[in-house]
Amino acid sequence: MDGQLQFIQLEMMVATLGLLILLADLFLPSTARRSLGWVAAGALGLVFLLSFRGGYVALADAEAFGGIYRLDALAFFFKRFFLLAAIFVLVFAVDFAARLRGGVSEYLAFILFALTGMMFASSANDFSLLFVSIELITVTFYILVSFQRHRLHSLEAGVKYLILGAVSSAFLVYGIALVFGEAGSLKFEVIRGAHGELLESNVFLFGMLFVFAGLAFKISAFPFQVWAPDVYQGAPTPTTTFLAVGSKAAGFVLLIRLFASVVPELTAQWTGLLMTVAVLTILYGNLCAVPQHNLKRLLAYSGIANAGYLLMGIVAQSGDGTAAILYYLAGYLFTLVSAFMIINLVTREGEGEDIACLAGLNKRSPFLAFALALCAVSLAGIPPLAGFFGKFLLVKSVAAKAFGDAGYFALLAVAVFGVVVSIYYYFGIIRAIYWSKHTSVDSPVSVAWPTRIALGLCVAAILYLGLLPDKPINWANAAAKVEEKMSVDKK
Amino acid sequence: MNTVAWLILLLPLFSAVAIGLGSFRSRVASAVLSVGAVFGSFLLTMLLIADGGELRSSVGWLAFEGLQVDIGLQIDALSKLMLCVVTGVGSLIHIFSLGYMKEDRDFSRYFAFLSLFIFSMLGIVLADNFVMMFIFWELVGVSSYLLIGFWFEKPSAADAAKKAFLTNRVGDFGFLLGILMVWAALGSVGFAELRNAETTAVCGLAGFLIFCGAMGKSAQAPLHVWLPDAMEGPTPVSALIHAATMVAAGVYMLCRVFFLIDGTWAMEAIAWIGGLTSLLAALMAVQQDDIKRILAYSTLSQLGYMVMAVGLGSPDAAMFHLTTHASFKALLFLGAGSVIVALHHEQDIWKMGGLRERMPKTYWTFLIGTMALCGVPLFSGFFSKEAILDAALENNLLLFLVAVFVALLTTFYMTRLFIVAFMGKPRSSHAEQAKESPAVMTVPLLVLAVPSVIAGYFNAHAPNPLVLAASLVVLVFGMLVGNSVYSGADTDPLPARFSRLAKALRDRFWFDEIYKWLIDHVQENLAKLADAFDRWVIAGLLVRGAHGTTELAGRVLRLAQTGNLQTYAFWFAAGMAALLIFTLG
Repeated sequence: MDGQLQFIQLEMMVATLGLLILLADLFLPSTARRSLGWVAAGALGLVFLLSFRGGYVALADAEAFGGIYRLDALAFFFKRFFLLAAIFVLVFAVDFAARLRGGVSEYLAFILFALTGMMFASSANDFSLLFVSIELITVTFYILVSFQRHRLHSLEAGVKYLILGAVSSAFLVYGIALVFGEAGSLKFEVIRGAHGELLESNVFLFGMLFVFAGLAFKISAFPFQVWAPDVYQGAPTPTTTFLAVGSKAAGFVLLIRLFASVVPELTAQWTGLLMTVAVLTILYGNLCAVPQHNLKRLLAYSGIANAGYLLMGIVAQSGDGTAAILYYLAGYLFTLVSAFMIINLVTREGEGEDIACLAGLNKRSPFLAFALALCAVSLAGIPPLAGFFGKFLLVKSVAAKAFGDAGYFALLAVAVFGVVVSIYYYFGIIRAIYWSKHTSVDSPVSVAWPTRIALGLCVAAILYLGLLPDKPINWANAAAKVEEKMSVDKK
Repeated sequence: MNTVAWLILLLPLFSAVAIGLGSFRSRVASAVLSVGAVFGSFLLTMLLIADGGELRSSVGWLAFEGLQVDIGLQIDALSKLMLCVVTGVGSLIHIFSLGYMKEDRDFSRYFAFLSLFIFSMLGIVLADNFVMMFIFWELVGVSSYLLIGFWFEKPSAADAAKKAFLTNRVGDFGFLLGILMVWAALGSVGFAELRNAETTAVCGLAGFLIFCGAMGKSAQAPLHVWLPDAMEGPTPVSALIHAATMVAAGVYMLCRVFFLIDGTWAMEAIAWIGGLTSLLAALMAVQQDDIKRILAYSTLSQLGYMVMAVGLGSPDAAMFHLTTHASFKALLFLGAGSVIVALHHEQDIWKMGGLRERMPKTYWTFLIGTMALCGVPLFSGFFSKEAILDAALENNLLLFLVAVFVALLTTFYMTRLFIVAFMGKPRSSHAEQAKESPAVMTVPLLVLAVPSVIAGYFNAHAPNPLVLAASLVVLVFGMLVGNSVYSGADTDPLPARFSRLAKALRDRFWFDEIYKWLIDHVQENLAKLADAFDRWVIAGLLVRGAHGTTELAGRVLRLAQTGNLQTYAFWFAAGMAALLIFTLG
């Protein structure tokens, strides 16, 4: 393989797979198209395994395409993360195919294209690649969100996402332009080298703030979170899942790259800003979730709150903080995937995803009831599950900084307050599952076996991450070290 | 020998678990397991004693900064003696139970509980630190609760079990505080470490608090109220708990930690509480009609003796009396059990009578037990009581007089019990038809009769002449008076002659009534207050208030979520402006 192209071999495989699926659509009878999803998931599984191949891993800490594309432990971590997320979402999409009413193969292909964008994003080492990959993700999501054309809600969500996404892209590209104007380059290397002087320039700060706003939109941080509940609720549920997990993680990998390694001094200068954003995001997400009865909306607010918790890892400005973000995202992936899958299985088409539809789930399907309860408990951050350990690591990384700065304590206090509030609404879910009086439906829930396997894997992963956190923490630390090392090298 | 010591402790646990998990259905297997376990422990104890020497063996359990708690065994002269009593008397009571509980529906459950009880008791005996002792102390509380309330379908038994448990908990609270205080003041909870530690001024208070634990378990006034009621359990249980083991635990514990309280003001308090308990209990015993209750009050009174001996600075005398008392009181209880079974669960002594000819083995062994308890010379109780009276005479003349008076009362009420129950003519149809109990019940009686006679010789001292004279006088006087009052009587003549006093004794000085009044008026009101606080302040103001505020905040914030795209775009722009102002403004 050509020297440059081998760097992007995984991305090429995924993009090719997407094209193949579009082609296959032409030759397959419409009944067989659904199973394309399982084929695609299997193929992605193969790609996931290939990402551990020695020849590929050996490319670590090297750059390609004139330095705009970088492979390192952080990039590997996120590429694998996105691959896993996409595998689950594809399996999920097959379950959901009937509700799409046509265009299944396109739906699958778009998931793969969005995945390509995310994988490029995890290697972005240049503002141009950053912008292009973000746009690839966002534009595909415009389509994925509005895919149920027969549903007004889906269309409405698509339009909202389109327009607000366009606004945020405008912020982003405007910011990039200002940064370019001041720094004279789009390369992260150049900016990293020169940002001592650049910090003096208000234009540069102005630009970076707009870039931050663009990324804050992706992770749905305050004050750019308003779109999330409407879009999450209206979008087809597999899209919601991918949006909540993949798109958010893409935002975070770029935030980590930029703020933890390219401009760490700017981050230090903006600690107050980041903390304020984190605090407001946590408060907004948790408080709004309390009166919420729609499950997808509830998880959207919970997703906003979680973005706030994840920002704590950036605020901590340490390798531990970054590692905590990675660990937390891993736990969040498995939890959200299984939660959305179960919600989709339980609710029937045309009905809202109201919390009341969980009533009697423990009788209809004890396994689903248990799995969803486990997700709620993990999201609430109760030991010994993944969610607890992730929150613990985040809080710990912030607490390590807290001595000598009272602001950090305020952040910690808000985080703890948020957790307490969140226990209230997550347990509303558990209460609905196990202690509801009125049950409208009592037929057992049928679950296809690939979904069963996916759910089983997710539950196992939630338990594994919480009970035996040593190894995953080591992985997260190894991936986080890259950034720390680079910023230290520079000094 | 380490293994042997651990085996002694663990055999009964194994039996309890095995019965509980496995052989609940099979009566034979349960009986074999339980009796085998306790008898095995007894044989191993003998082996340990034959081997001689002391040993300690411990496994680390908890280690914090400044606190190391082990699960450890301490084998020395004191624990060997106690092991002997617990496993020896325990074995005989297990065997006796085979006959006594033969008809019972829950035979296996009974033996599982019995094994659990023996395990807990052995834990107290072997413990080498306060924390382990406290754990087993509580286990004894639990297993005695299970045994006293064994016939839980009977409300009186269930109530008695509850009462025993709660009363013990009151004492245990003090015990726990005492342990904490010892740890705080001396920095350790291990007996061996504490022995070497510098004693400080708080030892008196700590010692008294620890004594509170003994007050509960060994039923000292004012926490004695549970013991007579606890007779609601099966009679072998009464024999086990109230003669040989549980109530002895308090005295044993005081002897174990005697080095801590020695020389502090707590000693004085302990001596007086012991003396008062023995006096009150002996008085109450005089007017009881239930054969087991008489024995129960007698136990209380003898325990008072032992506690008093500890308070007077001679734990050896206390342990001596504990040992002899364990054998003759177990004998008396089992004898009473034998009578009760023969009379179809009749316990009122005024409905007995004339059992001498009908139950000769029970009669003769009961006589031996009575003589030992009254302290007839050359019986075991004589020597141990002399030892306590000696100690009293040396240290406290007033308490000596009390003790002598108690001895007089003891002789009197035991003479009363014996004459009314065994002599004269049968006073009920059951008594007329009474038959001797089977061998499985009489053999333990015969075996127990042996130490009741000879146990005293192992530790006999030449008695002080004054003490000897006093005790002989009260012995003879008590027997004569008892004989003249009750010989041939069909009803108790005392209430007619001393109506007020007899009523006070019958009503047990109204302790239960006073407690009931206190609970009704003090505890109930406190509970109501706490309930109101919980309902209005905690649940109302704090919980509902916090919930309401959060919910309201959520609803207000949700107003921003209008669903209108233009509004959202406006929020974006406003947010961006806010960020700019925040950072650059």
